[in-house]
Amino acid sequence: MTATISTTSVTPVRRRRRSARLSPLLVAFVLVPFAVESVWVFWPALQGFWFSLTRWDGMSSPAFVGTDNYVELAGDATFRGALVNTVIWLVLFGGLSVLGGFGMALVLQKERRGVGFYRAALFTPVVFSLVVTALVWRVFYQPDGIADTLLRAVGLESLIRPWLADPQTALYAVILPALWRQIGYVMVLFLAGLKAIDPALHEAARMDGANSWQRLRHVTIPQLKGVNAVVLSVIVIDSLRSFDIVWSLTKGGPYHSSELLSTYMYSTAFQSLRLGYASAIAVVIFVLALAVILGYLVRAFREEA
Amino acid sequence: MSDFDPGRRRFLGHLGLAGLGALGASSFLSACASSASGPATGSGSGAVTIQSNLSSPQAKAAMEKLIETFNKQGKGTASLNTIASETFRTQLPTYLTSANPPDLYTWYAGSVANDYASRDLLLDVSDVWKSLGDYPQSLRTLSTDASGKQIFVPMNNYWWGFFYRKSNFAKWGVQEPKTWTEFLAVCETLKSKGVPPIGIGLGDTPWVASAWFDYLNIRINGAQFHRELLAGKQRFDDPKVKAVFTRWREALPYFDPKGKAYPFQEATTALLAGKTGMFLIGTFFADAAPKDALGDLDFFRFPIIDPAVPLAEEAPTDGFFASAKTANPTGTRALLTYLASTEAQEAYVKASSGIVLPANPKAKASDSPLVAKGKAMLDEAKELTQFFNRDSSDALQPTADTALTKFIDKPDQIDAILREWQAGAEKVFKG
Repeated sequence: MTATISTTSVTPVRRRRRSARLSPLLVAFVLVPFAVESVWVFWPALQGFWFSLTRWDGMSSPAFVGTDNYVELAGDATFRGALVNTVIWLVLFGGLSVLGGFGMALVLQKERRGVGFYRAALFTPVVFSLVVTALVWRVFYQPDGIADTLLRAVGLESLIRPWLADPQTALYAVILPALWRQIGYVMVLFLAGLKAIDPALHEAARMDGANSWQRLRHVTIPQLKGVNAVVLSVIVIDSLRSFDIVWSLTKGGPYHSSELLSTYMYSTAFQSLRLGYASAIAVVIFVLALAVILGYLVRAFREEA
Repeated sequence: MSDFDPGRRRFLGHLGLAGLGALGASSFLSACASSASGPATGSGSGAVTIQSNLSSPQAKAAMEKLIETFNKQGKGTASLNTIASETFRTQLPTYLTSANPPDLYTWYAGSVANDYASRDLLLDVSDVWKSLGDYPQSLRTLSTDASGKQIFVPMNNYWWGFFYRKSNFAKWGVQEPKTWTEFLAVCETLKSKGVPPIGIGLGDTPWVASAWFDYLNIRINGAQFHRELLAGKQRFDDPKVKAVFTRWREALPYFDPKGKAYPFQEATTALLAGKTGMFLIGTFFADAAPKDALGDLDFFRFPIIDPAVPLAEEAPTDGFFASAKTANPTGTRALLTYLASTEAQEAYVKASSGIVLPANPKAKASDSPLVAKGKAMLDEAKELTQFFNRDSSDALQPTADTALTKFIDKPDQIDAILREWQAGAEKVFKG
């Protein structure tokens, strides 16, 4: 450790010169993946923008229609519903998984007997494929299933309804399994962040008479800034791409009541075969994700500067 | 299951598999499978590749047997490629438009096939039809595209009806109703005995509701109007369409409330267990039924509402079409001729357990009383329709699912629902 520090401090000039000349290996490491990405990621993504300006059924060639698809989006009630549902999803799924994950991480950060078991238990749902998760939850929600049996057992029969088939409850009934899975994941991210906090900071705060709430507010949370950026990106991206669990449980139904932008995009593209219109929805999803994440990054950079 | 596809006769049968299909993972697999087998036909005389969506174990085995027999006959060679139904459905346009497509496909007759024909994607099989002189005119018309050439070779069809358990009807003391009034009376009797009279399964399989719409429409407005409506030549907010829903509303109180939440497979279980009285469904539902229950099953035709309307029944027809770009049209036509033969169709009916009627009029269907009754019902019909998506398009089906499930939940809002349906349909027709 000391050796490294002394070298870097003694030879700053040589180091800078070396990094100015790019090593061919480094260039290869950047350019090869970039070339692959260009073909498999950037080019199709750019094509998506182009398709959003066309009418295309996937069989004949796309016909340019200008901004018609976006004009139609503006007046599409299903799209508005899906947008509102996506926002609800972002707030509930994102908010609750952060709160839940952070809470669990706080509770489970101390090494105690059996804590490993609880951590593993909370993380287990992450391991399952979401389609398997959906199957399990479908059994939970089905008529006379576990949910109904539980409600009956505590005398709340009046609440029983077709959870996934009732437009009032479908969206929330789908958020729950998604949360069940996401909390474990977010917990692991926060656990890693908590482990990285220098215990001396807490020690010092305690010496200064800070109570545990003050230490959480003024030591732990500011120290987690790096992790927060990761968690936020993960949450936003996961929310906007949430598709599998919704599709396996309700397909966005009944009558679009649990429709998200992602499921609406899929059904528009692959059921209605309106690939141009679906591309326009995809562009909206892209812009939303970018706006949220860029907004956060800009703020984060400004604070650092 | 992502069994959005209504017209299909064979189902995967398990909830999970479809979910996998929706994930897209399996479409990658199948894309690999098809690209591996597709180019095999490159040399004009190579094996004919047949893409099959008949993925239930018995149907798959039946197809394998047919292809094996064909290969032994020395008129050409063929190789079978079985693909999960949902994947097949989403991939079919890709197969047909690819540069080097597989030769032959299992698919459905009607406007779904004609749509591909109008894009010049299907092989002209009029030659094959020359040897099918004894096929009924209805099947010939069904297999003919707008330009007057045949593009489809039917294999078999099946029927829809109200299925029930004979023992249960006897226990409840009710008879098969013939008219709408009798039907409602039976419903009332069952309801008074504490049995939900009409089973349905809309959770995950909302397209099942389309059978109700199809039947009410062909009973009230006739098959001609129904086809025009589905082709975009009539409007869904027409008062004639509203009349369909006014009738339907009379039966709504008798629907099993749990039917909204579970798929048709579970609705089948409920029917067999006597938890519902009857169930409007296609014969494919029996694939999932235990063998000992089959003997106790019977059905009656959708009740007559207006005797003046010519009798029409839903008889979805399954069969084959071929790619226009096949490298081996001779071999493909030879295989189609074989598949349409009495011998092949009887072999298929025997090997597959489903309750189906062979398309070839000389081929014998299985000799169960149920099948005989189904055949008699279809023979008596003046007109045959296919099913909502087969008479329109897979793209129009989701608009029906939305409108019909919403109507079942909120029958008061029928005017708004029909306006939305018309708007949704216009978008689909516009493309």
